[in-house]
Amino acid sequence: MIEIQSAARQACDFGELMREHRSMVFSVVYHFLHDRDLAEEIAQDVFLSLHRNLGELESPAHAAHWLRRVAVQRSIDAARRRQRRPMVALESLPEPSVRPSPGDPLLGEMLRKLIASLPETQRMVVILRYQEDLDPSEIAGIMGIPVGTVKSHLQRSLALLREKLERRGVGER
Amino acid sequence: MDWLEQELKQALARKEPAADFDARVRRRLVRTTPRWLAAAAALVVIAGGGALYRRHQGEQAKEQVMQAMRLAGSKLNRVQAHVQAMGERQ
Repeated sequence: MIEIQSAARQACDFGELMREHRSMVFSVVYHFLHDRDLAEEIAQDVFLSLHRNLGELESPAHAAHWLRRVAVQRSIDAARRRQRRPMVALESLPEPSVRPSPGDPLLGEMLRKLIASLPETQRMVVILRYQEDLDPSEIAGIMGIPVGTVKSHLQRSLALLREKLERRGVGER
Repeated sequence: MDWLEQELKQALARKEPAADFDARVRRRLVRTTPRWLAAAAALVVIAGGGALYRRHQGEQAKEQVMQAMRLAGSKLNRVQAHVQAMGERQ
């Protein structure tokens, strides 16, 4: 009984939850919006909301799931408020003077910009898959969409990214 | 997992927010709490003020009724005395 009470107290330790999940929350928002200041502000909002809902959280796993879901929702809301769906138009990306190769930091930056240009749902699916390492069923649960839709978004996004990279001269090792 | 997926994992690695992130969240928490308290205090003052005002109006009305009854009573006394005096004269 004492152990259960202690576990419940741990789950509701706001400071601990913030330390453990701040990089996850911030990164989901930042990779989605590609705007550091806005991502900081929204990530703070997510934790303020967590503080208000602390009593509803039953376990650390529940808290992590809750934070991820709220971060996803707030990111999408912020993007819609900004009314700038493609944050970086693919056409506006400058052609690199030197072609980056796999493993090159330049390629990482190019990829982040390409991801930022994807439509909202596809962008968030890619972020949750490759930043958070979630499988399609977990992504479907967080975003409230069917697993099949998640899979097709992933396939379409990968094909699009591969095509854009190949057009820029970046291909398989 | 092919090369593109590996590159995506690297490109989307988690990043830390600013070093003062926790402190800024806590400052915002402190700022938002007194707003709640202020709103609650304002509600109490408004509700209490309303009750006091209603009580004051009630007391004023009661005082006016008592005054009217006192006036009516003295008039009646005067009429009664006048009638009595007329009766004694006859």
